[in-house]
Amino acid sequence: MRTKKYTDAKLSETVYVGKHSSGLEVRVLPKAGYDSVYALFGVRYGSIDTAVKNADGVFETIPEGTAHFLEHKLFESEELNAFERFEKTGASANAYTSFEKTAYLFKGSSEIEASLEILLDFVQNPYFTQETVDKEQGIIGQEIRMYQDEPDWQVMFNLLRALYKSHPVRIDIAGTQASIAEIDADLLYRLYETFYNPANMALTVVGGVEPETVFALVDRCLVKKKGAPCERKFVPEKPAPVQSYIEQAMSVAEKQFLLGYKLDLKTPELTLAEETATDIALEALVGRSSPLFRRLLDEELIDMGFGAELFCGHGYACVMFGGTSRDPEAAVKQIRVELRKVRKQGLDPDAFERAKRKLYGKSVMCYNEIGATANLLLDLWLCGDPPFAEIAACKQVTLEQAQAQLALLQDKASALSVIVPVQKETADV
Amino acid sequence: MPQINLLTDGVRLVAEPTDRFKTACISVSMALPMDEHMAANALLLYLLKRSCRAYPDMTQLQGKLDALYGASIGADISKIGEAQVLRLQLTCLADKFALTKESIAAESAQLLADLIFRPNVKNASFGAAALQAEKRLLIQRVEEELNDKRTYAYEQLIANMCQNELYGKPKYGTVEEIEAVKMSDVYAAWRNLLRTAIFQITVVGAADAAQIAEAFTAGFKRIERAPVTPPTQFVQRARRFNHYSKSFPVNQGKLVIGFRAGMADSLDHIASMTVMNDLFGGGTYSKLFANVREKMSLAYYCWSRLIASKGLLIVECGIDTEMERKASAEILSQLSDLRNNKTDPALLDASKRSLRERLTPASPYGILEWYSAQVLQSEICTQEDRIAAIEEVTMEDVCAAAKRISIDSIYMLSAEKTEEAKA
Repeated sequence: MRTKKYTDAKLSETVYVGKHSSGLEVRVLPKAGYDSVYALFGVRYGSIDTAVKNADGVFETIPEGTAHFLEHKLFESEELNAFERFEKTGASANAYTSFEKTAYLFKGSSEIEASLEILLDFVQNPYFTQETVDKEQGIIGQEIRMYQDEPDWQVMFNLLRALYKSHPVRIDIAGTQASIAEIDADLLYRLYETFYNPANMALTVVGGVEPETVFALVDRCLVKKKGAPCERKFVPEKPAPVQSYIEQAMSVAEKQFLLGYKLDLKTPELTLAEETATDIALEALVGRSSPLFRRLLDEELIDMGFGAELFCGHGYACVMFGGTSRDPEAAVKQIRVELRKVRKQGLDPDAFERAKRKLYGKSVMCYNEIGATANLLLDLWLCGDPPFAEIAACKQVTLEQAQAQLALLQDKASALSVIVPVQKETADV
Repeated sequence: MPQINLLTDGVRLVAEPTDRFKTACISVSMALPMDEHMAANALLLYLLKRSCRAYPDMTQLQGKLDALYGASIGADISKIGEAQVLRLQLTCLADKFALTKESIAAESAQLLADLIFRPNVKNASFGAAALQAEKRLLIQRVEEELNDKRTYAYEQLIANMCQNELYGKPKYGTVEEIEAVKMSDVYAAWRNLLRTAIFQITVVGAADAAQIAEAFTAGFKRIERAPVTPPTQFVQRARRFNHYSKSFPVNQGKLVIGFRAGMADSLDHIASMTVMNDLFGGGTYSKLFANVREKMSLAYYCWSRLIASKGLLIVECGIDTEMERKASAEILSQLSDLRNNKTDPALLDASKRSLRERLTPASPYGILEWYSAQVLQSEICTQEDRIAAIEEVTMEDVCAAAKRISIDSIYMLSAEKTEEAKA
């Protein structure tokens, strides 16, 4: 294993990065004085992977929700399942699937090596049958239904469907009842072989463990010695949204809204510098100490949950503003006016400085929790960035860069998603 | 063992200084009885968080926090037994990570004390506009409990099951009570808070506990303390079984089952109750996970939680509405197995290992939660103490604990039939 050391002196943390000959990347951040260890074994395979390149180099469509389905099934085994094996070490194990990745994890404070071995082993050894795949349909079906009742989730996916015509970011991470019905054991094995290869994966470990221990264990436990990163399909989307307004009635107390601005992407992904500049600009624009936040609050158009964020990944990037409001259209109007004003007059330099300090502080605080740190290291790997790149990026952002990012938000590339209370609506009729 | 200091009557400081973390975290828990003043108390908390004499405007205060590298102040209200606990919580960066030489922690800690002792009050008023704004936000917070059906169903079960106990009351007061609060009520609530609430200031991380002790001691100097410890009624056995249900236009039903845990106080058989609850519906090895989810595929989540501060055990799961009987029968049958020692002994060890793991602190927030939840306990219990007690639990203890619990009520939030299904 080739290893390299990255240190951030101010932060007083060091990350040891190992590159295995198979292509697997291992990132370890040892923490003095910690008993606990948090480990993540991640795959570049998420819900946006609805096409896979076949032997002829052609992208072939696969059902929605396969990454998530496979995540559920990997815990299974011919003998003891992964949960039963972790019972012996006491570690808490779990997994999650997002738009761009699947990650398997444990947190443990004793028998760390044994837990790491279990993690590497169960992810590398799929075992399931058609019968157990069928059984999982019921559990995942309930998971899908649960999310269908969550207004925050629905307001976001409705917005993504309004903004994106064909990018798979518009589909639910778990897929749909119909799409998961198409999934069978053979398909899952085939996709496993494609995506779960070491060059498409990374291991991040944070806490009370020595890097050498982790590297040696990886050398010993890695089954596949070769692999290649999976290519993702990049189909640029047109700047215009599919529709500028989308609404759904749900059992909620008050209206909820999400206003989204789609960014025009020439390359598949934003750079870390662009992302950071956007984050700081949004904080300065609508953060809790901004005049806009105060005005909206005083006019009773938002509550304390109002905020904005950049949402981006491979082939998609948009800025979302949202919260609860009795009158979303009125709130949106003020956001648009403020954006136009900033485009003309620029951001308040004091607000920019405060926002930058705040983001720096939050970046440092991310190293407070071993779980948050391990996830951060995995996300940096996913974007091809080295450890601590996010802190360096934050320190370097200039006012001009932040303003330039805000200038990219165009009204004609935006859409509004609203959840309306179902009772109120019927009462009006 | 953390440092424990009694600052004045009913005001305790619990500090775990460490430089392991990047932050200083301070929480102030203030426990009050659940009486007719709950809505005024709740509004008071949000008014205290909003501003202070030094930063009389909320935008100004927020700007100050941002400049302090994103220091944050949170406010929350919970029920610990039959006490309404108001809490202010501060998290800030440790000084050594500042980009310029500053003392973030000391300044933030003073700010937190100022919020409580030097609020923005003139002529016994927090300002009509501020009260009006906080009333709107609090009412919205109460009404929005409907949005998250899992929490909503849980709260409905508690409200129904404990309707003849103080615990059945909502933690913020009702919408009507909030609307009726006058400025004089909020001002009186502030005076009453400083005089009678049980306070615990919990400090974790890179903060100077002595400086914090000083700031709070100074704040209490001119206050004549008459602390009141709110009592909690423990109903040890369920009487008549009740079934409540209501339908909503949703996709998934939520089944909530309320049990009386058979505890005489919040520490009664706590170790064996903790292990029993974990084996019943805690970890992935638990009976509910293994059977209701994995074996029968009825639910994505099905778990139990122990509310030791009130002696309750609650089971929750998300299911198809028509599966209610099947699911509740299975849950009760699993409880019966637990009572009758039909549990693989290896699972007892698995549970103990897992609980030990979950009680091993890995972040400042976990430590802060653990200690601040003990605001009403006369003795502070460390996580190591609890781990040691859990180690001693035997399978016989688990069976005995399972036999002490009794079913009291069910609340079923069911999915309305859609238009097509009705037709």
